[in-house]
Amino acid sequence: MKRILLACSSGMSTSLLVTKMEQHAQSIGDVAKIWAVGQDKAKKEMADADVVLIGPQMSFLKGEFQKEASKYNIQVDVIDMMAYGLADGKKAYDQALSLIGNK
Amino acid sequence: MFEKLSQFLIPLAGKLNNNRYLAVLRDAFMLAFPLTIFGSIFVVLTNLPFLNKLLSDDSVMTLQSSFAIASQATMGILSVFVVFGIGYYLSKSYDVEAVFGGVIALASFLILTPFAIEAESGEVVANVIPLDRLGAKGMFLGMITAFIAGEIYRKIVQRDITIKMPAGVPPAVAKSFAALLPALITLTVFLAVNVIVTLGFNTNLHDFIYDVIQAPLVGLGSGIIPTLIAVFFIQVLWFFGLHGQIIINSVMDPIWATLALENLEAFREKAELPNIVSKPFIEVFTVGMGGTGMTLAVVIAILWFMKSKQMKQVGKLGVGPGIFNVNEPIIFGLPIVMNPIVVIPWIIAPMVVTGFTYFTMATGIVPRPTGVTVPWTVPIGISGYLATNSFRGSLLQIVNLLIVFVIWFPFLKALDKTNVKKEREAENQNKAS
Repeated sequence: MKRILLACSSGMSTSLLVTKMEQHAQSIGDVAKIWAVGQDKAKKEMADADVVLIGPQMSFLKGEFQKEASKYNIQVDVIDMMAYGLADGKKAYDQALSLIGNK
Repeated sequence: MFEKLSQFLIPLAGKLNNNRYLAVLRDAFMLAFPLTIFGSIFVVLTNLPFLNKLLSDDSVMTLQSSFAIASQATMGILSVFVVFGIGYYLSKSYDVEAVFGGVIALASFLILTPFAIEAESGEVVANVIPLDRLGAKGMFLGMITAFIAGEIYRKIVQRDITIKMPAGVPPAVAKSFAALLPALITLTVFLAVNVIVTLGFNTNLHDFIYDVIQAPLVGLGSGIIPTLIAVFFIQVLWFFGLHGQIIINSVMDPIWATLALENLEAFREKAELPNIVSKPFIEVFTVGMGGTGMTLAVVIAILWFMKSKQMKQVGKLGVGPGIFNVNEPIIFGLPIVMNPIVVIPWIIAPMVVTGFTYFTMATGIVPRPTGVTVPWTVPIGISGYLATNSFRGSLLQIVNLLIVFVIWFPFLKALDKTNVKKEREAENQNKAS
């Protein structure tokens, strides 16, 4: 199972993308746990994730999050801006998979 | 040029967002948030405009006075919760026992608070705590005290100046003994300061900090020019794809919250509301309305008047969240970020609206915000009423939306034209191949 954590300012704006990513994962027969949290909770929740994606408006957190994520040996990246804006579940999901693969 | 600016802004935003004190301050205000909502609900309910038509004036008064405690016990003494929150979250950020940090900060604040009231007649009543000093008036002293108390407490704990209990003592007991010396030392410092100030200078730190720091800072923050500057920076940061509010608000929130509290205190006493600029002014009427940068108007313009498929799709995605003032689809999908075609309306529109809103409230066309807390996700129309306790507030929101619409329209048209052209070219290419 793939576990993908999304983080944004309050966990609200990414929840739409979560739904779209889940739909895409289901449509290709993947079992995935995808969830969104606010930036303050993200560090704690990382322990349960295989990859962390952050909303583009929080791109300045990448360095700090990566430091924490390295403890769990996982990758952090900023969600592609257009994929985020257009709630492109496939693109964001593929981005997550490629990051898990690179681990 | 944009690239260079962005390289400069991203680390700066990161630093501001991760600054320990600003993060603690943000969390401390969030701690008080549910309480202020509770208080606000009852202020709104007991001040509904048709209430005096259903009930006699006397019953309205009785109703208001019996429910007043809901906001007095929460927003009326907001500094208490903020002080505890700062002490708690600051200690937590240093990984020392947080709850003791919270109570030590609170006790330090109370030590500096005079337990007496001077009546207008000059008579001094002893053994009472003046409530206003625990509310808006004591906010800045509270914040300063809490940070200093938290710092002293954690330094002593970290230097290991604590009493250690032998193994086998219950953890709760051991913890309270561990906090004993740090608490004694921190509180003694504040006691000494208070004795010096009261005996030596015949005043108290409340009045001193209020006169020297709070009144000038808050006064500055309530002006229209500083507010326009803050709005400008929120918009510029978002233009570079950075969360403008998280960054700017962590600096401005203490000021905007204090201004709102001052209004609420006046509203409760049925006095004239002193401030226009305040937390609800920013969130409900200007830059936060319909999503950051007021983009609900942009969504409407796209859905009704634009032809490009890509823009239509963004509009459809944006309308649902936009109603609840969430607008990431527009910011990143249109996109607004780093898009030179829309930079002008993006920055100008909220500033024009800020000026206009200020004007309508300064002239009394629309009542000033009462200071109640309105959650930022409440839709336009409802939030305007809640913030001002008047339907004119709702009307103002709709006018503001129209202003944004008009400013954006020519720029959206230009963007639409280039998008339609691109889409047509792509189609033709597909057909040709």
